[in-house]
Formats: sequence, C-alpha cells, structure tokens
Amino acid sequence: MPGESGYAHLPVTKVPGWHGLIAWDALLNGMATGLFMAAAVSELAAPAVFTPVAKVAYPVALALLLVDLGLLVSDLGDPLRFHHMLRVFKPRSPMSVGTWCLVIFSLPLTAAAALSVLSELGIDFERARILAVVVALPFGFGSAAYKGVLLSTNAQPGWKDARWMGGYLTNSALLMGCGELLVLSALMGQPQATAILRIAFIVLLVLNLIPLGLLFANLQPTHVRLYTRGQQWLVGVLMFAAGTLIPLGLTFLNDGLIFICGALISLLLGSWLIRFVYVKIPHTPPLEIRSGE
Amino acid sequence: MASREKQLSALLQTSDPPRGLVSQLVQRLIYPFRYGEPPKPRPPTGFYTDTTVCIGCKACEVACKQWNQLPSDGFNWSGNSYDNTAELSATTWRHVKFIEQFGEGSSAERGSLDVTVSDHNRWLMMSDVCKHCLAAPCHQACPTGAIIHNEFENVYIQADICNGCSCCIAACPFGVITRDKVGGHSHKCTLCYDRQRDGLEPACAKACPTQSIHFGPVDELREMARKRVEELHRRGVPEAYLYGDAATDTYSELHSFYLLVDRPSVYGLPDNPFNPWLHMMGDYFRSIAGGLAAIVALFVVVFLLRS
Repeated sequence: MPGESGYAHLPVTKVPGWHGLIAWDALLNGMATGLFMAAAVSELAAPAVFTPVAKVAYPVALALLLVDLGLLVSDLGDPLRFHHMLRVFKPRSPMSVGTWCLVIFSLPLTAAAALSVLSELGIDFERARILAVVVALPFGFGSAAYKGVLLSTNAQPGWKDARWMGGYLTNSALLMGCGELLVLSALMGQPQATAILRIAFIVLLVLNLIPLGLLFANLQPTHVRLYTRGQQWLVGVLMFAAGTLIPLGLTFLNDGLIFICGALISLLLGSWLIRFVYVKIPHTPPLEIRSGE
Repeated sequence: MASREKQLSALLQTSDPPRGLVSQLVQRLIYPFRYGEPPKPRPPTGFYTDTTVCIGCKACEVACKQWNQLPSDGFNWSGNSYDNTAELSATTWRHVKFIEQFGEGSSAERGSLDVTVSDHNRWLMMSDVCKHCLAAPCHQACPTGAIIHNEFENVYIQADICNGCSCCIAACPFGVITRDKVGGHSHKCTLCYDRQRDGLEPACAKACPTQSIHFGPVDELREMARKRVEELHRRGVPEAYLYGDAATDTYSELHSFYLLVDRPSVYGLPDNPFNPWLHMMGDYFRSIAGGLAAIVALFVVVFLLRS
C-alpha cells in the first residue's frame, strides 16, 4: 500500500524498458514473417495460382521486416552495439535464437524479393527464387516462433505465466500473413487466389481462437489482479470484436476489396491491442495499489 | 584533482594511437568478436550475509560505491524507514534494507520515551546484493555473451560487450540488474572481480563492521552459515534459517546466500524463486505447434481448392 513501510508489498522484479515499441515490433514481426510464410506455403502448394501474388508478397515482407529490425535495434540501450548479438549463438537464449533466425531469414528473403522483382523486369531465375523461398521458410518460421518464447521465458509478473504466448503469436503471424496476401491478391485482380485465400482466412480466424483462448486462460489470474471486471470485459470484447468477429463478418459478407481491406485493418487493430495489453502487464500496478478505480 | 584528471586525459596515450574514422568504425565492428584466453577456474567464491548481526550502518553501500566509482543517487526521502536508496540499481550494487516490525500497541509506536522492547518488536536489516546464482537466468537470457560466469563462478557482466537489450532484467527473479540511463548498459555487483584477482576481499565485506557480510569459498561459507543457524537455534532463535544455500526443485543454489529470521518476502525476496528456463522447452513446443497448425490448415485449404 502507498506509505506502507517494508518490502513485502513491493514488486520483487524490475521491469525491462520495453514499452509500446515492443508491441509494434511484435506486430510487424508477425506481419513480415506471416506474409512470407503464407506466400511461400501457398506458392509451393499451388504455384500456378499463387506465383504472381507471391512475387509481390516477398518484397513487401522484406520491407516490413526492415522496419521491424529498425525497431528492434532502436529499442536497445546502446543501438550502435546491435552487432554484439552476433558474437555468440546461445540456444538457451530466445533472443539469441531469434536474432540468428532473423539475420539468416533476411538473406534468402532478400534474394527471393530481388529475384521476384527481376523476374517482373524479364530477368528470370525461377529455380533460384524457389530455392531462396525454401531456404528462408524454416528461418522465417523461427523468426515468428521465438518472439512469444522470449516474452514468456522470464520472471516478469504475468508474462511468466503466459504459456501460450508463443503459440498465439506464431499462429497469429500466419493469420495476419494470410490476410495480407488476401488483400494483395484482391488488389492485383487475382480472383482464384482471392477466393482460395478468403476461405483460408476464415479457417485461420477460427483456428486462432484456440491459442488466444488458452492464452487468456493463462492470464486470467493476472487480469483479475490488474483490472476491474468492467475493464476486463471492455478490453476482452474489443479484442474479440476487432480481432475475430469483425474480420470474420466482413469476409463472410462480401469478397470485394473494401470488405477484405476492412477485415485486415480490423484484424491488425485487434492483434496490436492484444500485444499492447500484454506488453503493458508488468508496467501496470496491481488494482489494490491504484486509487480511484 | 578534477583539473589534473582533465590534463591527464588530454595527453596523448601511447597505447592508444590516433585513428581515422574508418579505422575506428572497423575497430568497433571487430572488437566484440575478439576473444581472449579464458582464465583457469578457481574455487567458487561468494557472500554469506548474516542479517541477524546487520546494524544498518550502510558502510557496505558506501564502500561499494567508493571502490567501483559509482555515482551518487542523490538524497531521497523514501518514506521507508532509513532506506534512502530504495532498491538495487545500475549505480547502487549494495542496498541495505530496513524492516520495522512493531506491534499495534508497542511503546515505540506510541512515541513514548519509556520504550519497552518485546520479542515481537524488532528491526530487521539486510544488505542486499546480486545473488550470483549458479544457474543464473540473466546469464541464460543474455544474447551477446556479455554475462558470464568468471573463474570464481561469479556472475559477471562484461560492460564493454553489453548492448542494453534488457533480457537479463526481464529474466532476473530477484530484480537485481538495471539498465543505466546514461550509457544504456546493464550493471550489477561484480563481486569485486578486480579485487579478487588481486587476492583482496570485496569492498563491502571488508568494510562491514559487524561481519554480517562474509566473503570466501562458497563451501566454507555454507559450513559457517549452518553452524551459525544451529547456534541461533540453541540460543532461542528457532526461526533462523538459510535462504539460497541449497538448490530447490525450481532454482539453483545462490553463491550469495542469506541467514534470515522471517519469511523471504518480508525482506523483498521471492518466497519460492523460479527459474523461467524450466518452462522454455514447453513454450517452444507450444509456439511451434501453434505455427504448424496454421501452416497445415493453410496448405490443406490451398491444396484442396487449387483446381
């Protein structure tokens, strides 16, 4: 309590200086890796349908990844020492695993993006492009999978209990990637790709409810400790509406570009809100300490 | 003194010849990848802090700041007894905690000059420091290799390698490590590594006037601490126990352990410290499973509907 002496009422752990920037980083990481993986899986499963869309998706994924890497570097206490991450590889450090995955992923992704652009200019290295996509796939997956483990393998209140954080973030990356690919195919006027991805998007939206529900179950005791019942309902309804219900409704309603774009924007808003609320957990004092609520 | 230091720093350093911009950049890029010969392992050393004899003089805090040339934190009224520094930080590597345990009707609380001290009215004081965990979560988390176990098995941050990613801060269950606001790097107790290499004991242990802080080989410290607990039990302090001297199911032993007479949480320590890395493999499994489920679903839909 405020004014109470002693240490029993004080938090034991220290909060790392990760704030809103990390919520954006988690979102962009999912958007970049998810778009790449969705494009790669679709192209490898049905090249005749998806190759034109995938050739646009790879450069977009690279651009998103570069912005994400910029956020990661600027969040360091000493950004000029970012390359110190590369002096060791520690499998037991999720950040080390993630750094190496991101670095390796960025190389074949750059190659795939460059070869995709070249093929549009008439210079075709199709086999090399496919090889780059295949090589990038496991590292792209690793780049998406490490983030949740990094955010749950620590001693921070709330974060340390989020066993399904990784499961949700990786699954959500594919969902966002599918949504982005759907918008790209609609923009490019690819009706068959759009039709297939629309169904895939609906399936992934429903599937994503499983890890999201499990994550919420993990964090229920933390939510009770930090938020009033009204706040919990408000945030829960907002997340569910923006992240699932609205995208699902819009995609079901119509396959027009406006509806699809609306679904993606709503999904991204919901995804950002979930990440933001989660990142803020250690920064939020328990309900009993906050006054006037 | 300050002007003399300025004069000296302005002199040309023969060991550090002037470099051009490109040379500096190259040096900066390759420097962290240079590895020296690791020193030969020495017997593990650590701290044993007997809180029952701590008098809260803060000599350890002062000695630590003086030896390690740590800046002042200013003078703050924390409202928490005689505690002015409040917590361990990037510039406070030793922190003396004050716990006032006075009952509802005690004379001391009523402000009477006729102070009667009962068994239930007491001060608890404890000099807190990095626990130098044998399996340290900060060490496991560090992606740069800046945090190492040195030849004395102490957890040591190489300040010239740390890039301030804060993973160690998130990982530490004791809230020890802090990122410096000026340099942006993480700092904590080094267990006076420089002094140990020269055969000296750490500055805090040297300065402690009541021998509350003991320094030495960890095995000897454990033996000494167990005898002290037995002695206290014989002398009518049955609540005395050691915190962190032995590993538990969820945490390794600490190379800086404590003799306490109340619950750990009373001293601001976790009652049951938990190493987050015990969950890591499961978390990776769930992360991969979540991603694979989505990939399989996408692949199946695309494959089935492609024609």
